Amino acid sequence: MAHTHQISLSAELESLPLFRDLVKTACQNMPEINEQIVYDIQLAVDEVCTNIITHGYEKMDPGSIIMEVEIEPHQVIVSITDFGHPFEPVEPPPPNLNNELDNLKSGGLGLFFVFMSVDDIEYQSSETGNITKLIKKY
Amino acid sequence: MEITITTTGVIDQIIITGSIDALTAPQLINTINAHIHDGHPNVIADFSKVEFMSSAGLRAILASVKEARANGGDFRLAAPQPNVEKVLKMSGFHNIVKVFTNVDDALASFESQNNG
Repeated sequence: MAHTHQISLSAELESLPLFRDLVKTACQNMPEINEQIVYDIQLAVDEVCTNIITHGYEKMDPGSIIMEVEIEPHQVIVSITDFGHPFEPVEPPPPNLNNELDNLKSGGLGLFFVFMSVDDIEYQSSETGNITKLIKKY
Repeated sequence: MEITITTTGVIDQIIITGSIDALTAPQLINTINAHIHDGHPNVIADFSKVEFMSSAGLRAILASVKEARANGGDFRLAAPQPNVEKVLKMSGFHNIVKVFTNVDDALASFESQNNG
């Protein structure tokens, strides 16, 4: 049977560790979900929430982020809801490290990590908010 | 995140404990930059106690490497945990920053460079 953990926090960087902690808490007592899988989900969650906090709510009143972690048989689904500017994540190209160090752009890596860390990403935006769904199989 | 700095000869070790994310990365960049500008351009970052690192941590590493090299030194990384090392490999950062399995090897790399 699936079980669910939910948290709603202010869209501020101070909330990041709490979002990552919820992933760990939700996956506790699930021996099939190993430490690497938990870390991958935490990384994707951290990057998505960082984008929402730093760009999604840009030039808006500070809002909130609602995160729900569902443990299903063979997969973990994390749904992240925000009420900021819509931003559909599109898979970026891998970082180009052939550039000279001085020319290397250090941004854009976050989204790359999201796509590398989970198996599937779904996104929908409506008047009631933006929902980013991260799916990780185990 | 906590940062502790120890000095062995001309090489400084920065021991980082906790998580490097968008919240803590600016503090790490500021601390390392200040240390480099204080006349210590050779730095080893001991990552053995870093439990989590996001892309913000990679930006901190990149900024530190650039700053150290611009000041005639180098920023080298030691003892990352497997999950953090995976993040470094995934992004190709092994080509940018020298990564060692332990602090002693990182120290030795500076010493052999100085002797050579």
